[in-house]
Amino acid sequence: MNGAHASIRDVLYDAPGPKAKRRIAFVTVISLLALAALLAAIVRRFYVTGQLDPKYWSIFLRYTTWRFIGRGLLGTLQVAAASSVLAFAAGMLLMMARVCRYRVLNAIATFIIELSRGIPTLLFIYFFFLLAPQFGLQLPSFWRITLPVSISAMGVTAEALRSGVNAVPRGQTEAAVSLGMRSASVFFKIVFPQGFRYVIPTLISEMVIVFKDTTYAYVVNYADLMQNAKVLISNYDALLAVYLVVAVIYIVINYLINKLAATVERRTRAAVAAAK
Amino acid sequence: MSNGKIISQEPIIELKHIDKHFGSLHVLKDINLTVHKGEVVVIIGPSGSGKSTLCRTINRLETIDSGEIVIDGSVMPKEGKKLAELRSQIGMVFQSFNLFAHKTILDNVTIAPRDVLKKSKREAEEEAMQLLKRVGVDSQAGKVPAQLSGGQQQRVAIARSLAMHPKAILFDEPTSALDPEMIGEVLDVMTELARDGMTMVIVTHEMNFARRVADRVIFMDGGSILEEAAPEEFFAAPKTQRARDFLNSLGDRESRS
Repeated sequence: MNGAHASIRDVLYDAPGPKAKRRIAFVTVISLLALAALLAAIVRRFYVTGQLDPKYWSIFLRYTTWRFIGRGLLGTLQVAAASSVLAFAAGMLLMMARVCRYRVLNAIATFIIELSRGIPTLLFIYFFFLLAPQFGLQLPSFWRITLPVSISAMGVTAEALRSGVNAVPRGQTEAAVSLGMRSASVFFKIVFPQGFRYVIPTLISEMVIVFKDTTYAYVVNYADLMQNAKVLISNYDALLAVYLVVAVIYIVINYLINKLAATVERRTRAAVAAAK
Repeated sequence: MSNGKIISQEPIIELKHIDKHFGSLHVLKDINLTVHKGEVVVIIGPSGSGKSTLCRTINRLETIDSGEIVIDGSVMPKEGKKLAELRSQIGMVFQSFNLFAHKTILDNVTIAPRDVLKKSKREAEEEAMQLLKRVGVDSQAGKVPAQLSGGQQQRVAIARSLAMHPKAILFDEPTSALDPEMIGEVLDVMTELARDGMTMVIVTHEMNFARRVADRVIFMDGGSILEEAAPEEFFAAPKTQRARDFLNSLGDRESRS
């Protein structure tokens, strides 16, 4: 165990001695047995209720099933990408309004951020889906899911960016200012690039939330992964099989996003450490 | 003057009746100070005497309540383009280096000439490499600040100031955050600058350095300038009791260590 990889475990506990090692082996065996028993019970339950019948699973041997799932996934990815970009752009503007020197803008930005953070995504969806059309705002279903998800994420994004900008040591600004740089240059060339690096992991976690929020697409009848999964289920009655496959797809994508977060964090840590 | 140096009578920095409060604390009391072209002024005094605040006031990193700051004949305004322009003419070296953490050493030196003076990338980089060579860190140009020692970082900070061709450089305790074995390399660079005729205002605790390099020593306590003299005069026979106490306390500390 070296300093670079010291985990919380290394900090909390001594290196295990002979007695601790026996105890660890015992706990390991018991846990694995319990897990196996639980899995067996679940599988048995599915077997009894007939969910493991080949007729439910054979649909995955067909190309058309995968094409349908693929189209849903594409829809999900489009909404997730558009929402992430919009949430970032709006979050950036809100953050700048919140930290600028004009009190009025500070207050307005704070108010919008609190609304965005405090109201559940589903309410924003109902607003664009049910309320907005009554006032003549007819949006395509893509925007009926993308706008609410973006609005719901922009407040958290703004606050994450702000915490990053605030964490940049004051000396960085002082150095830039004393070289004669103007405030826009100081912010965009010195402060923001550093603050942004601090919060890349937070922003990527926020992307995972955006990604999961896109599952509300079924509310507005937008053909995302979840919506298409429901169609498959109603056609083939393959509840377990379809949800299992869809869950695996969500897990894999979110795992990849988190992996990306970890990689980016590792790469930027060295640069960030210097600011102290 | 101490080094037999002839100093012009052309004022570069003029502070006139500067007053500043931190809440109820009166940190600068009617400060009047003129620094001439080519002069090296060293400010010393106990901690809390206001010497760092005074240094930071010169380019308005600290606000003032009243008084006037004049840089090479131009009154420094409170804000705006003119303030930025005058600041660009006065270099500043900080206790904690304050190199831009996300930029390479080379970019640290070129960013202001490119952003403020609108120099081309090539021109700025050529000059930056010469300056880095002058302070002895040209071999580190591609690294980021975190990869350098404190002494190296402070020398880069000096090169970064020089890249703006300042009329004067302010040093706010430039060696206080350094490990003892790195203080010398930074003081050497500063001594060389002084020898080349750079106008400098230096806040420091390094008395031997002050004695060697200063044209004038300013002793501050309680927010006021109490003494102003050539270094040999000041260190041999300080006029005020507080300066004597301060120098004695330093002597004690040095003999103990």
